[in-house]
Amino acid sequence: MAPPAMPAELARAGAMLGKGNLSDSLGGLAGLSATDTPSGLDQFSKLLVNQVSEVNSMQTGADDLVHQMLTGQNVNQAEVLTAVQKADLAFRMMLQVRNKLIEAYRELQQIQI
Amino acid sequence: MFSSLDISTSALVAQRTRLNAVSSNIANMSSLTDETGRPNPYKARQVVFESDFSMSSSGAAAGVRVSEIKTDNADPLYRYQPNHPLAIQDGERKGYVAYPNIDLTTQMVDALESTRAYEANVGVMEITKDLGRETLTIIA
Repeated sequence: MAPPAMPAELARAGAMLGKGNLSDSLGGLAGLSATDTPSGLDQFSKLLVNQVSEVNSMQTGADDLVHQMLTGQNVNQAEVLTAVQKADLAFRMMLQVRNKLIEAYRELQQIQI
Repeated sequence: MFSSLDISTSALVAQRTRLNAVSSNIANMSSLTDETGRPNPYKARQVVFESDFSMSSSGAAAGVRVSEIKTDNADPLYRYQPNHPLAIQDGERKGYVAYPNIDLTTQMVDALESTRAYEANVGVMEITKDLGRETLTIIA
């Protein structure tokens, strides 16, 4: 089975991206080092939100297929399990990206001025 | 990554279809009539596979799909059973009963072959899965 959709995690990640505090702090960093590229960061956060929602829809699709299989409808086992596995891999990928972002955010917070 | 999972899945689906055909062939080894009740011995089903290039955008990799399921056109086996209710009443085969021409050995070998192919594809999926997980440790 894929890990459950972890709505709290997703909501937190989404809220953080939505508020833009992460991208703000990253934007500050970018401003220090190079010319301002707010549009690029906006694009990145949008990309991330899209990825989160795509992973979510993969999970919902996999859940749907599992439900169909368990209620005896005519779906192929292999297809169902592959969908679950794909959702699992996509989720892990998203989780790693999120971990990396949080890590970077913490790192920034600990900078002493 | 996902396209290789899709390819392996297509192979699993195809091999499953083939195994279905084999089980149908073995189950109907002594079916003498068709579904309308007329004496018409069952004919073996042979599943034909073809490459499916829609799985991967690059065209370098292909999945597999069932192109068609053909009926074997081997002549039925005639056994002399004059008292059988389905025995042929007239003509040169009078007193014979037509039986499906299904070779159990061939069917069992087919079943084994598709099972092994299924296992091999599951093995490939396992490797793909591990590869994906392993790749994720780069970022971690």
